[in-house]
Amino acid sequence: MNQIKRVDPRRPVYVTPAGLPRIVLGETGSSDPAGSAERVPAARDGAKPLRARRIPERWLMAVVHSDRGSLDGPARQAIAAAAILATAETGVVAVVLGELSEDLGPAGADRVVVLPDLDAARFQPERELAAVSAVIAAYGPEHVFLPDTLKGEGDLGRRLIVAHSESSATHVVEVGAQHAAVTWACGGQLARTRLPRFVLLEAGVVDAKLPFVGAGEIDAATFDVVAVDACQDEGLEDIDLAEISLVEADFIVGAGNGVRNVGTLGALARSLGAAVGASRVAVDAGLYPRDKQIGATGKTVTANAYVAVGISGAVQHLQGIKDCRHVIAINRDAGAPIVKRADLTLIGDAEELMQAVIERIAQARLQRELPVQS
Amino acid sequence: MSSGQPSVAVLLSAGRHPVSRAARACHGDAVALGLARRLGADKVLALHAGDAGEPSLRDYHALGAEHIEVLPFAAGFEVLPALVHRLRTVDVIVTGGRAETGLGSGLLPYALAHALGRPVVGNVLEAHPGDASMRIRQFLPKGKRRGVRALIPIVLIAHPLAPVDLRYAHARRVTGQISVGRPGPSREPASDDLWSIEPDARRPIPLRAQDRKAGHARLMSAIASEANAGVVAIEGSCVDKAQVLLSYLREHRLVDF
Repeated sequence: MNQIKRVDPRRPVYVTPAGLPRIVLGETGSSDPAGSAERVPAARDGAKPLRARRIPERWLMAVVHSDRGSLDGPARQAIAAAAILATAETGVVAVVLGELSEDLGPAGADRVVVLPDLDAARFQPERELAAVSAVIAAYGPEHVFLPDTLKGEGDLGRRLIVAHSESSATHVVEVGAQHAAVTWACGGQLARTRLPRFVLLEAGVVDAKLPFVGAGEIDAATFDVVAVDACQDEGLEDIDLAEISLVEADFIVGAGNGVRNVGTLGALARSLGAAVGASRVAVDAGLYPRDKQIGATGKTVTANAYVAVGISGAVQHLQGIKDCRHVIAINRDAGAPIVKRADLTLIGDAEELMQAVIERIAQARLQRELPVQS
Repeated sequence: MSSGQPSVAVLLSAGRHPVSRAARACHGDAVALGLARRLGADKVLALHAGDAGEPSLRDYHALGAEHIEVLPFAAGFEVLPALVHRLRTVDVIVTGGRAETGLGSGLLPYALAHALGRPVVGNVLEAHPGDASMRIRQFLPKGKRRGVRALIPIVLIAHPLAPVDLRYAHARRVTGQISVGRPGPSREPASDDLWSIEPDARRPIPLRAQDRKAGHARLMSAIASEANAGVVAIEGSCVDKAQVLLSYLREHRLVDF
């Protein structure tokens, strides 16, 4: 046979609303309009198409913990891995432990099972194991993806693997349609195997950006469990935020060149229950010690919320906060680069705004306390 | 379970430096050794399943395990049945997070606890034994710590940040002793043979969704930057802006008031 690759002149096209034929790479089918009628219509006004329209025959599962009602990066990546590896007749079911207040359709899930009383803050491994095992038994997924995090999924995943005694891979650094790979002996070599039933993914293994969405239906079925935990949870400890490392902090207030009064910034951080960080300029000026510096030459932080006060947002600083989910800026200059990065920017004098925020938060705390006392 | 102080065992694995491959104590296991020594004073059973001539065991001597018992195994054999057999009578088993040789899956403590029918607690920072139970302080990310009360017997997995006092003494390295025990009931090959090791080191390739778009749409997406513009509050008084900030924090549940 002729081995030369040739371009098919009759490869599939679709016609845009403007009447222009467009070729889609990777599509199989014919250019015959009748034959390509089944094609998913092109997204209009930026909306992404649905990944699969058929009723799923098989399932892929992702098990994740929620954090304050939404999902963090590794959790999204686990769902995205299932969605990318799913075929047209495979559905993606996301099992969310903890409360959920967002739609997981854009994250790639076709079906969502929420188990609200199994959040990551509480230590209840036996109940989690029993509940997730019940969901696995109900859906019978071909593969189960979990993020390999310290928050609880890594622990739960290993318990699932041992309880089900099935093929597994942990600390997975590469995953594909047929294989999973881990680093061999913590070195540079990779060891690969056929894609096992349980896959525990390291962070950053999957790109969570998807060109499609899932159906995102909530499964209303309840999965009752009767498991009793051998260990008793004694609750989270109150830790002084000044003691823990910035890298670990969940809420950070960052000070920059626009901050003149270190005391006000400290008061703002205390009222929000946040740790204090600083930009290079503020550290060089001697306002903060070197170990508080956030940025390329300082620390890279992964806080859920970062309030940048008087920070213009040089690229070196933005590098240090690239993993922060919510960035709020308080700045005098509306054209500063931090405004492009921030989810919310308050323009004005840093000192006045900080005072106003401290007052407003004190009020809010007081209002919240009143009904509790009565 | 015996009265008084619980009996404590720690599992030590062969450590290798990730870059130079030099033999050294595995950091996670060294921390586990420190945690076990805090729990069981000097009467800690230090156990290694593998080669009795393993050079990294000397480092564990220096870090405080004066006497190490070795269950002799050739590479590639399943050690779990022998460990279960040897550790059945031990109250508290302390392990590190993952090994530095082979797969390093971190599954062994879970498999061991499952086989022994006891609870397993991960990410342990501190453990204080009491009457038939134990108070454990657990590491959680984002600066959180959790208290857990668990019954003895138990399996503990030490977190690398556990505050332990590890001191290296060359005298202990020289005087340390190794005794070779019996390997135990079974000698079945380990399940590592499902894995094939690639000869050359390379970076892992991230999984990305295939984006099937027409050429025109791909060109458009290449020139359009991702619109990520947040809300900018310019107008209004400081009090209004403070209210905007509080609403944002409340909307995303970043504060609990």
